[in-house]
Amino acid sequence: MKKETLLLLAAVFVLPLVLRPAIAAEIWIFAIFGLGLNLLLGYTGLLSFGQATFFGSAAYVAGWLLKHYGIGVFPALGLGVFVGAASAALVGYLCVQRSGLYFIMLTFALNQLFYFVAYQWTSVTGGEDGMPGIPRPAFLGIDFTEPLPYYVFVSALFLLSLWIMKRIVESPLGRILQAIRENEVRAEAVGYDVARFKLAAFVIGGAFSGAAGVLYAMLFGIVPLEAIGFVTSGNVVFATLIGGSGSLYGPIIGSFVFIWLSESVSTLWARWPLLLGVAFVIVVLFFRGGVVEAWSRFWSWRSSKPKT
Amino acid sequence: MSLLAGQILNGIATGMLYALMGLGLSLITGILNIPNFAHGALFAIGAYLLATVAVTIGNFWIALLVAPIGVALLGLAIEYVGIRRLYAAGHDYQLLFTFGLALILSESIILIWGPVGYSHLPPDILRGGVDLGFTFYPKYRLFVMAAAGVLVLATWLFLEKTRYGAIMRAGIENKEMVSLLGIDIHRLFTVAFALGAYLAGIAGALTAPIRGLSPGMGVDMLGIAFVVVALGGLGNLLGAIGAGLLIGVAQAVVAAYWTEASTVVIYAVMAAVLLVRPQGLFGIR
Amino acid sequence: MAILETQNLSKAFGALTAVDGVSLGIEAGTLHSIIGPNGAGKTTLFNLLTGTYRPSAGRILFDGRDITGTPAHRVAHLGLARSFQRTNVFPAFSLLDNVWVAAFACGPSWKGLLWRRADRYPEVRARALAALADVGLADKAEQPVREISHGEQRQLELAIALAAAPRVLLLDEPAAGLSPEETKRLVALVRALKGRYTIVLIEHKMDIIMDVSDRISVMHFGSLIAEGTPAEIQRNREVRRAYLGGVAA
Repeated sequence: MKKETLLLLAAVFVLPLVLRPAIAAEIWIFAIFGLGLNLLLGYTGLLSFGQATFFGSAAYVAGWLLKHYGIGVFPALGLGVFVGAASAALVGYLCVQRSGLYFIMLTFALNQLFYFVAYQWTSVTGGEDGMPGIPRPAFLGIDFTEPLPYYVFVSALFLLSLWIMKRIVESPLGRILQAIRENEVRAEAVGYDVARFKLAAFVIGGAFSGAAGVLYAMLFGIVPLEAIGFVTSGNVVFATLIGGSGSLYGPIIGSFVFIWLSESVSTLWARWPLLLGVAFVIVVLFFRGGVVEAWSRFWSWRSSKPKT
Repeated sequence: MSLLAGQILNGIATGMLYALMGLGLSLITGILNIPNFAHGALFAIGAYLLATVAVTIGNFWIALLVAPIGVALLGLAIEYVGIRRLYAAGHDYQLLFTFGLALILSESIILIWGPVGYSHLPPDILRGGVDLGFTFYPKYRLFVMAAAGVLVLATWLFLEKTRYGAIMRAGIENKEMVSLLGIDIHRLFTVAFALGAYLAGIAGALTAPIRGLSPGMGVDMLGIAFVVVALGGLGNLLGAIGAGLLIGVAQAVVAAYWTEASTVVIYAVMAAVLLVRPQGLFGIR
Repeated sequence: MAILETQNLSKAFGALTAVDGVSLGIEAGTLHSIIGPNGAGKTTLFNLLTGTYRPSAGRILFDGRDITGTPAHRVAHLGLARSFQRTNVFPAFSLLDNVWVAAFACGPSWKGLLWRRADRYPEVRARALAALADVGLADKAEQPVREISHGEQRQLELAIALAAAPRVLLLDEPAAGLSPEETKRLVALVRALKGRYTIVLIEHKMDIIMDVSDRISVMHFGSLIAEGTPAEIQRNREVRRAYLGGVAA
């Protein structure tokens, strides 16, 4: 356990020296997003393919209030968490009553619902043009408009989010969610209202997605329509799977890989989603289990210990 | 009044296309048990192929015949090269694969045909309208209703009345049983995927003269196909038709009064139905 | 006093009536077996008792209270625990964690559900270890499920049910797939549990049934065709007929 924490702290300190602080911040933001998804995907076994719903909704609501009502940074964040959780409660309520393929399709379809609302409601969201002009209000005299202070803020929130998720995952709730993933029927039989617990996972995942959405809006100063679109939903699933959904830290690694990939390639070619699609296909056909599992398989081969 | 009547007819036409999409997706998802996120892209390719072939050889009808077959062949290739390897992989990876495929296909469309949408006119014989008494209605849309109806009927006949169709329906219910009965389950999967792709392709081909072509048309249709399946039930033929028509008509009627909300309505109807009946319109609890 | 009672309980799946008007009473502290040929409706009866299925007709009473229609996850809290015919555990967990999850569910309180570390519940852990000890698996507590034998998995299956500290145990073919040696051990275990719990047992192996049961109910095509002591059942002609070609008495 300890060595992961040290590695992460080191990464947090070193990253803005190696990359532009804005990109470094984007990595941590996407990692928060991934942590939220992985509670559903890795821990509860629910493939939610509509997380952008909560990410984008929080971004729009907080963005609107930041822009037009000048609310502060922490109220914006709190609001984002709330909107993310509330929208997840709504969507989750409809989705947890179905399972398997139906569940996946429903999360996608409801994502489309929110997307089209955002697309059409141009007076509020700006439609295709997005919602620009989102400020980064100062806090206690600290000016967040500079990249480095904002980076520190984001990375601190990331570490906080990671700590919270770690507590949740190690709590009885974390165990119950994993039990649901392992054997839903037995979990119900031993006394857990499985639908309620799935909904709880949804809401927590939504809260994390919402936080990420607000931080994203403030990072780029704009909420693009894509933030609530299915490609964003797909990206976070990809990042989580490539990092490895079987561990707490998988989404973080996945975020590194994904953001680095997308930032470097997207500037080169407008058709870069094609390469993204190719990357997805290659990962699926050849690199299942992700980086974390490949790493742990390497270590257990080295030390011949049973896999944990 | 005639506006409403016209819209309802429009709704039936698009509803039939939605039903075709839902049917194809339902077959693939029901038999192969994978989430096919590339289904919308197959639809789009069907449309683009139709437009290209029709323009190149100057004959709409041959294009209408050929384009869906092209999509079916593409489906065969996809199943053979990729999906076949993923049956044991779990939904996460299957989803990512088909999603990646969707990206590849839609970006390829932009590469080949450009990012800007364009329209494609129906063949001369189907241009113009017909006087139905209460309204003057485009001939092409009547053709679409008829063509889609024929296709749905043909699919129904295939599934209900032929031996292989029965095997497919059995495959939706119980794959192990089907393979235990000595039927080549892999061939079943391939046929199902190709058939589903064909249905998506022809839905796209039929749509081109109505809605025009744009690279994003696949994604919009994907969501709608999912709604049809969620409401109608996997592998449920009648469910797909019923759900398709329901949302097609709902969308068209709303469009008459509040255009912006017309797409959202589809999803809103889905959410409303699922609130009351989580198992969908025709699902069993 | 019957601790568990059904009144005219029925379950139909479309045209198929799996359980047909079953009325039976289980006396507290006894071991009551339910036998019958395959497809007689025994597991369906269990599914009805545990709330996994909703009855089409009839009532279920637990301790005199009507619990008909109570969902499965609530039934567990009432004091009814069940083991499954096909091993139904949590594959990725260790043995201890398997049992821990069940022990926590029926524990006195869920305080700290979200924020306390799961390994800081000494009381739950103690109960889980006790359940493992009851079935003889305490020494393998930390091992993952995939490292234990099939027989041990059946024991774990039982331990998960015990962890809830229930009053009534519903055991669905606990000896399924066990070797004669393992079966003997299981019978000893069940006999040891008798008295501490009320047990309802579904089994096919007649020697076990005759050995441990206080009372036997016989099901055939969904209905109860006979009920009595082991001796009475052995003499019953109807039962013989139902079993013709099946398991010999």
